[in-house]
Amino acid sequence: MPSPPGLPSGLPPGSTTEQPSRRRFLGLSAALTGAVALPGLLSACGGRTASASEPLQFWNFYAPAPSEDPALLARAGWMHDTVDRWNAENEQQIELVYAPVLGSEKLATAFSAGEGPDIFLISPGDIARYLNGNVLAELTPHMTREAVDDFFADNMATRMIGDKVYALPMEIEPLALYYSRPAFEQAGLSEGDLPATWDDLLAVSDRLIAAGQGGLVFPTAQDYYQNFVWYPWMWQGGGEVVTDGGRRSGFDSDGAVGALRLWKESIELGLAPRVPPASNDIVTSFSEGYASIWQSGIWSIQDFERRAPDFDYGVVPLPVPDGGEAATVLGGWAFAANAMGRNPDEAARFCAWALGSTDDDGVARVADWCIDAKRDISPRRSSLEYGSQAGGYDSEHMRLFRDEIFPSGRGEPRYPPVIYKAVSDAIQSCQLAGGDPEDQAATAAQAIDAYLTTYEGVNLA
Amino acid sequence: MSTPTTSAVEPAARSGTHRVAEPRRDSAASARARRERRAAYLFMAPNLIGLTVFVAIPMLLSIVLAFFRVDGFGGYDFVGFANFERMFADPYFLSSLGRTLLYLLVLVPGLFLSGLGLALLVRHRFPLVGLFRTALFAPNVVSLVVVALIWQFLLTDDVGFIARLLDRVGLTAPSWLGDPAFALPTVMVITIWFSMGYYMLIFLAGLQDIPREYYEVASIDGAGPWTTFRNITWPLLKPTSFFILLTSTIAVMTGGLDLLVVLTGGGPANSTTLVIYYVYQQAFVYGEFGYAAAISSFLVVILLAWSALLFALTKGGRFSHAQ
Repeated sequence: MPSPPGLPSGLPPGSTTEQPSRRRFLGLSAALTGAVALPGLLSACGGRTASASEPLQFWNFYAPAPSEDPALLARAGWMHDTVDRWNAENEQQIELVYAPVLGSEKLATAFSAGEGPDIFLISPGDIARYLNGNVLAELTPHMTREAVDDFFADNMATRMIGDKVYALPMEIEPLALYYSRPAFEQAGLSEGDLPATWDDLLAVSDRLIAAGQGGLVFPTAQDYYQNFVWYPWMWQGGGEVVTDGGRRSGFDSDGAVGALRLWKESIELGLAPRVPPASNDIVTSFSEGYASIWQSGIWSIQDFERRAPDFDYGVVPLPVPDGGEAATVLGGWAFAANAMGRNPDEAARFCAWALGSTDDDGVARVADWCIDAKRDISPRRSSLEYGSQAGGYDSEHMRLFRDEIFPSGRGEPRYPPVIYKAVSDAIQSCQLAGGDPEDQAATAAQAIDAYLTTYEGVNLA
Repeated sequence: MSTPTTSAVEPAARSGTHRVAEPRRDSAASARARRERRAAYLFMAPNLIGLTVFVAIPMLLSIVLAFFRVDGFGGYDFVGFANFERMFADPYFLSSLGRTLLYLLVLVPGLFLSGLGLALLVRHRFPLVGLFRTALFAPNVVSLVVVALIWQFLLTDDVGFIARLLDRVGLTAPSWLGDPAFALPTVMVITIWFSMGYYMLIFLAGLQDIPREYYEVASIDGAGPWTTFRNITWPLLKPTSFFILLTSTIAVMTGGLDLLVVLTGGGPANSTTLVIYYVYQQAFVYGEFGYAAAISSFLVVILLAWSALLFALTKGGRFSHAQ
């Protein structure tokens, strides 16, 4: 039906109202854009200022406790006790903020927006970027030489530039092999069959599979954790990602090729699954018989205590290749202070006080975290001794980690994303896509060398 | 046909009172117009503000960011087109782009056909049709993260539900999410399963807009189901098809990140690293915000070009003018 004269097409009779023109609409949009964007832009121009009345934010993934799980409550309790004690003695207050996936998106986005937390937890895998970005406050001025020397040097090295400390480890988490004793018994294997070499490992896994038991589990997801877990296998054969003082790649080496081949064969021979069972949960996998051997860290001890206290499992150091040397990697998180935060000096002083105090309270605080709240190796000699005297390492597994596994450990390396990615692609290609270890090691080494020619930043070796 | 305009004016002119009444009426009309204009702006305001804050400003900033090297800690260096040059020389980006095109070529027709097929199946009334429609749409109301976790559980190697089901009929299940040959097809199937209910609903709305009389006439003329579909349903569904083609392309190119992050993490061996995942990885895992913005801007340009092409070919989705 044609529209009546005087009415725009498509409008019902009576709709004689003037339509907002396109120009007017765009003008309104621009005005709105300005109105919304301007306050943000203006506020971005202002710096963040220190104020003792405003508490500094400490982003962490322990407290306030996310659930009523007793183990999580114990960890949250330690964090609260530490912060409460500081707040009682200092004018600059600190507030705990729970941040679940702190290691990646949340922290990166916050720093990018100039809203990074004043204090936060950081892992060695991520620290190079922050060190190169000059956003970590130096902690050394708030520590005595004695305190710095009390930390295990090799584990501490990735948090330092020269003799300056930029983050303080709260724990050391070495990796080992966990095994299910019931599965071994079912397969007719005894303690004497525990794998000491790579060949043993493949042979034992084969016997377990043949007996209808679960196999060997290595991580398969493409992420920082997989690289972290893979490094010790490379080190055992003498391989290095970066060598020559950080100037060139050492990845195209027998050590790296051997480790790539070990993981490749574990999948190709059907000894390890392409996807870890039970959503990557060692306790369920062992309890249900989905896996019999699993490479994991010291933290799994507490997982078994919490969820399957009666399950009979054992721990052995990582097997070594023929002619190789025992090695494991030492993980663990650290306290760091934001140099661009509201009160970097007080934030740094808090980190140094919480983890680096040499008085009795300070030593006990670090020990308590590692033996009461968690099950870890203490990052300080004094605290490890204190924890040992307190009975924290009396159990079979904790003793093994302290006496046999930890001494062969190296601190988790700090590599920038490009190097991480090159190594990750080599691992993934060999492990899951049939890649040739020699080719993949050479490809990764080329990529790393290309990157190192223009790299400017902290020493990576 | 006489118009209300002329009939309303004539009596006033005849009575001789129009010299007094006309300005008053003009003033009233203009006040009403102002009120209605204000109302129109108020109605538009929430959407306009939302679009401005959450779409327009981020999009503009992202395009600007593409010309900078961003260190992730407040440092910005203008680098011109360096991020774009890097993009076209980056083998990881190029392989993710190729993978995304394959994904697009399977997903868009897959979503179109499954949505249309389901809509044709449930368009007529039959017992429990409401239940079927609800069941087909149900995955859409569940978070993609939950969907990913459920499928991860179902697809677990050897001991997962699907593996055990296949085992019962004598088949060995592959590693759906651990084998590079199967991971992307698995993600495609899950995406179609998750999204087809939404597209079914859109097609259903389009089908219900087609006048029933056309089908009655076709039936009287002896047209069979295929002839009816080809000559009535398909032509009258063209605007709906246009909408689905456009929105599904955009959704496939830019959506599904949560599914990839939870289900595969871009692996195994990068086999499910689509462009959108690569952007996420560059920005939030590696802190390469400038480079990620360059890739995003490139994606926006592709999608704008695709949308413009579709609009041009179909005259803005009104196919009748194009024919």
